[in-house]
Amino acid sequence: MNDELLRVENLKVWFEIRKGFLSRPMYVRAVEDVNLTLNKGESISLVGESGSGKTTLGKTILRLYKPTSGKIFFEDKDITNVDSNNIKWYRQATGLVQQDPFGALPSHFNIYRILEEPLIIHNLGNRSERRELIFKMLEEVRLTPVEDFISKYPHMLSGGQMQRVVIARALITKPKLVVADEPVSMLDVSVRVEVLELLKNLQEKLNTSLIYITHDLATVRTFTHWIFTMYAGEIVEKALTKDLIREPFHPYTKALLSSIPEPDPNNRRIIKEVPPGEPPDLINPPRGCRFAPRCSHRMDICNESPPEVEIANKHWVRCWLYKR
Amino acid sequence: MDEVVLKVKDLNISYRTKKGEVKAVNGVNFEVKRGETLAIVGESGCGKSSLGRGLIRLFPRNIKSVDGEIIINDKNILALTEDTFRKEILWREISMVFQGAMNSLNPVLKVIYQVAEPLMVHYGIDRESAFKRGKEILSLVGISEAFAERYPFELSGGMKQRAVIAMALITNPKIIILDEPTSALDIITQENIINLLKALKSELGLSFIFITHDIALTSELADIMAVMYAGEIVEISPVEEFYNNPSHIYTKLLLESVPTLKEDKDLKSIPGSPPSLINLPKGCRFHPRCPFAMDICKTKEPPIFRVSGNHFAKCYLARGDKDE
Repeated sequence: MNDELLRVENLKVWFEIRKGFLSRPMYVRAVEDVNLTLNKGESISLVGESGSGKTTLGKTILRLYKPTSGKIFFEDKDITNVDSNNIKWYRQATGLVQQDPFGALPSHFNIYRILEEPLIIHNLGNRSERRELIFKMLEEVRLTPVEDFISKYPHMLSGGQMQRVVIARALITKPKLVVADEPVSMLDVSVRVEVLELLKNLQEKLNTSLIYITHDLATVRTFTHWIFTMYAGEIVEKALTKDLIREPFHPYTKALLSSIPEPDPNNRRIIKEVPPGEPPDLINPPRGCRFAPRCSHRMDICNESPPEVEIANKHWVRCWLYKR
Repeated sequence: MDEVVLKVKDLNISYRTKKGEVKAVNGVNFEVKRGETLAIVGESGCGKSSLGRGLIRLFPRNIKSVDGEIIINDKNILALTEDTFRKEILWREISMVFQGAMNSLNPVLKVIYQVAEPLMVHYGIDRESAFKRGKEILSLVGISEAFAERYPFELSGGMKQRAVIAMALITNPKIIILDEPTSALDIITQENIINLLKALKSELGLSFIFITHDIALTSELADIMAVMYAGEIVEISPVEEFYNNPSHIYTKLLLESVPTLKEDKDLKSIPGSPPSLINLPKGCRFHPRCPFAMDICKTKEPPIFRVSGNHFAKCYLARGDKDE
């Protein structure tokens, strides 16, 4: 495929931990055997609970973490093991929108300086060109009038405004891929929609590919082309957004979808069925299907690793229930 | 079931800060009957946690003034001496699950000890009987005896939250204040905790005051909905009426900003952010953000209009047949 921007093959990310000196190392298997491709201008939501490995996957794709094994290709270039001296071009080609705007912005820089920093690092434009770019970007994220904002410091802004600065900073180098890690989870409900719309419009306008990491399935409905569900380090279901929401197949995706609170007063009279327990410890994940211990459809065969089945057109699920 | 267990009349709470007086809670009125759940929703900084803490007289050191009445057991608890309040009301009649309490468990004490401690301290019950009762309460919230003997770090987030709920239950109160009881939890775990709260409500006939920013989640538990904005309750109504006929513009916009899976609707956001509680706007506190603000809204504070029955809203546009 010509449009392919990013390809991840059999990616594993394990973190070593040692309990005490000289003891045998143990591994947190944060990401296990992930395969995905992302085309230019397309967007994916990675959905899952905390500890499902979605942030680790996102950050490994940005090469902020080093993969344990597997390959990552960006525009057909293998970037899996590029070392820190040769990675600057990739930093420019990618951007990260952090979860917590309060922690992501340096408190001693004003907004102008925050946005100028990446341009200086990547040697983009001279002083007046940089100024023009910064003004344009701030207008794009609707922090207007721009003159009022450039000299402000982060603490003078509201959470929603700070998150726009974070978005502007991620996009100012015109990256081809942006990873947005829970960009609105710290914001109040009334401004969430606005920030998400802004991100989506910019993504479409700049034809950037986007990986949107979230635990909040309700926000992804209109947001990205694809939804990938992650559970305990594995992608268990991949589908186009509308297909996944209309007909989820994996028991975990089903549970996730049914747990989303809907504003309906009848809810208080019913007890929803939810899987008991919590995600497994990633040091010792269950053998075979990692969701099996909580699954109501559990079979004997679930002790073996489930295959990925293409259950419908462009809809893959990793579950024994659908193996023909 | 019509017994009123908690009545709040004209409650005002203000804090002293360097910048001036912060009016955190303003003219709040409501009552809660036995077995009923009142949900208080609002954005961060609207005074909902101040109100919750105020109900158990937990004021910060920079408190400036508290006036109004909080009536529990026919007594105005604000008029009681600290000693009488602690002996007769606190924990016995009303208790609280604090926001983020699951992260404040003492790491060096076993869970059972922390749950049983109030019985030993407040009631002078011996250790053995207190532990026995503690284990009963823990099993009621779904923590088995094996886990009771463990330390907090050995428990998952959902279990810690269950333990914290057990701590609020152990002294047999009639009213429990739940301040964001699920905000740090994953969505499936959240649903599990909500199911537990539903069961406790129907089995023990408890009254909850459920404080949250998540308006979609309130419908899972609430019998009465109250919306707070800038320190005031701007709308209060039985839950069915609330969702069928939201009357304050702020409530309407808030409901329109909630992303849901099932409905295909255009999400809206509310421009601007809530006012500072030091410098409140004149007239209606929401008018600077209100798309329907009229001249009167800018100058004259709206009275509370009765929309119908027990449904009240503080908005000129909510004027019903009978004004109060």
